Amino acid sequence: MTNKIARAILMDETEIEYVITDNPPKGLMKYTYFTPDKSKVVQFFNSKEDAESPKVRERLEKIVGIYNPTLLPQDGGALGGNQQTVEYFDKLFCWPMALVKSPEFGVVCPAYPKKFFFGSDSVKAGFNLNLQGKDKKSKWFTSTVSKYLSDFEKGNLQKMLCISIALARAVRRLHAAGLAHSDLSSNNVLIDPQSGSCVIIDIDTLVVPNLFPPEVAGTKGYIAPEVLETINLDFEDPKRKLPNVKTDLFALPVLIYEYIFKRHPLMGPKFHSPIVEEDDFLSFGPEALFIENPTDKSNRPEDLKITIHDLGPHLEKLFLKAFVDGLHNPQERPTANAWERALVKTWDLLQPCSNPQCPEGWFVLYNIKNPVCPYCGQEIPQKDVMHLRLMKPVSGWRGHWQSSGEINLYDQMPLFIWHFLANTFPDEKVQDRAMKAYISHQNGEWYLINRNLEGMLSPKGNLVPAGKAVHLQKGEFFPSNNKPNALLLEILSGA
Amino acid sequence: MQSYARRLPVYLLLDCSGSMSGEPIEAVNQGVKVLIDELKNDPQALETAYLSIITFDSKAQQIAPLTELMTINVPEMTASGCTALGEALYLLKECIRQEVRPNTKEYKGDWKPLIFLLTDGCPTDMEIFDKEVQDLSSLHAANIIACAAGSSANTTFLKRITNNVLMMNTLSAGDMASFFDWVTSSIKVSSTSLNENPGASFQTPPPPEGFTVIP
Repeated sequence: MTNKIARAILMDETEIEYVITDNPPKGLMKYTYFTPDKSKVVQFFNSKEDAESPKVRERLEKIVGIYNPTLLPQDGGALGGNQQTVEYFDKLFCWPMALVKSPEFGVVCPAYPKKFFFGSDSVKAGFNLNLQGKDKKSKWFTSTVSKYLSDFEKGNLQKMLCISIALARAVRRLHAAGLAHSDLSSNNVLIDPQSGSCVIIDIDTLVVPNLFPPEVAGTKGYIAPEVLETINLDFEDPKRKLPNVKTDLFALPVLIYEYIFKRHPLMGPKFHSPIVEEDDFLSFGPEALFIENPTDKSNRPEDLKITIHDLGPHLEKLFLKAFVDGLHNPQERPTANAWERALVKTWDLLQPCSNPQCPEGWFVLYNIKNPVCPYCGQEIPQKDVMHLRLMKPVSGWRGHWQSSGEINLYDQMPLFIWHFLANTFPDEKVQDRAMKAYISHQNGEWYLINRNLEGMLSPKGNLVPAGKAVHLQKGEFFPSNNKPNALLLEILSGA
Repeated sequence: MQSYARRLPVYLLLDCSGSMSGEPIEAVNQGVKVLIDELKNDPQALETAYLSIITFDSKAQQIAPLTELMTINVPEMTASGCTALGEALYLLKECIRQEVRPNTKEYKGDWKPLIFLLTDGCPTDMEIFDKEVQDLSSLHAANIIACAAGSSANTTFLKRITNNVLMMNTLSAGDMASFFDWVTSSIKVSSTSLNENPGASFQTPPPPEGFTVIP
């Protein structure tokens, strides 16, 4: 193999070196070279037409510049960003950094972090498959091919929720700027279930406000039904439905559903036509039917074990809204923000399964009266189940409180600032991500141990200094700290 | 849970006649190996693509039945004899009849098979060829791409098989590698985007440099 260093000139006249290799990795649109230190990639278009298209160029200029959430506003990035949010989104997106003008039009992107590439031990022993150095497309983890992967690569429900939260947050950020991804799919989202992280790649198909949309058809299984239904119409036909924010809001829950259940929400047994193409067109387009539709069960697999009901009320409600009410009615689809919130609330209800053989290791313990792991059938003894209901003050109504969530407690569970203060949400804007307190469960008793939360209060209203514990008992209801926006804690137990 | 993923059957019809001996047949052997390895690296292709290989010299033979990529075993191919392309078409038809599953109420059928035909000559079993070409219409549910390799390949015959005919100028290892690389990309593209649109024709990536599309 011959490797040779070449130089590209960027739009701002600076130079970047890249290594020309014989068989550069090739996607559907572009091929890729790495910089000598492998920290960045330089990509060129497969087709001259794309490389020379003013539409592609104009779109990319906006994406690299004023729509870029990974660049500070003073450096030409998106408005409203600060050091913290820029660093945060830099982890969630593989966002184009610069445009190449010579030797031909191209794009410079950061290389994905190492954790998004398979290693030498990623494939289970005994399989003739070499994935070393290949990127971790979501599809590896959500389809039957995951059986070839080593167990440590596959993560669990907790990690998959973590990935889903990050993805919903990333999509929420795009949508907040009026951008639509337009081709969210298991090929364009890399995930690392081991660490619970994800990164969105191929940002150049974004739909940018007031610019001509990219002519992407999307990826099988992630194309919204209304887009597929009108795909035969001419691109300029007003009746043709093109990818937009609402179609992203179909693809996003498809991905979340796949991460959690390892199956596709529309792929069930329902038969539409003996002609395969027609059968697929109908089952992903005009006749699409959620496999867990509660009233029409004609697409429901007989052997469905874990269902959306097992995820608790927050996600069940959203999946029904997305795949029943909103499947053929884009206006009804939950926003990325709603997904982010519901996922975080569900995260707060996670329970480690006490069965060491449990295939998942975690489940959502949303019903304290029925604490059973759906994955292995393990029942959690009532004495080991406790919830905290978080109550926030109703503004303008002194002494009135409303629920702001419920958390399921387990031994060594960490608690953060958003568990103690109202109107604090664990997103990219939270500065303080350190653990504030944790739960200890010893001999059937529950304790809240203060690590470094200022002004923590006991049920009796006494100050609890760092290092000291509060004994939690069923039925108690008390402000968690002495700040004006402190959340009240109500202790619930099934016993 | 039962899988509702469809299979994408892929048939490679490879010319192993005497004129392919030496570098060309070596390149075909190598090309098939690389193709399988490359497809295995793509999760979508690994899940959906099933591969079969039919070779033809003085007779046609299915050397690998339709098998998933993880377990397929392809014997070393050698080149000798003449070009029983007619017989190969007959065998292809029989294999598809037996191996490709129709879509029924009971189970998800396979996608339209993708067929890649590579030859460097012209059929030596004209009688059978004529009959089988007539009969190919029974395979209307398949996408066939034929590639004429080198200057002695006759594209007129291939045009009778399919409208998608490519011509590569030489039988060099480099051109052969490009051909298999292009077949690989075509299969990858098909496994993600094919059949979204019932009326649309089969889309392949643009052919590699030095290849011409025969109109």
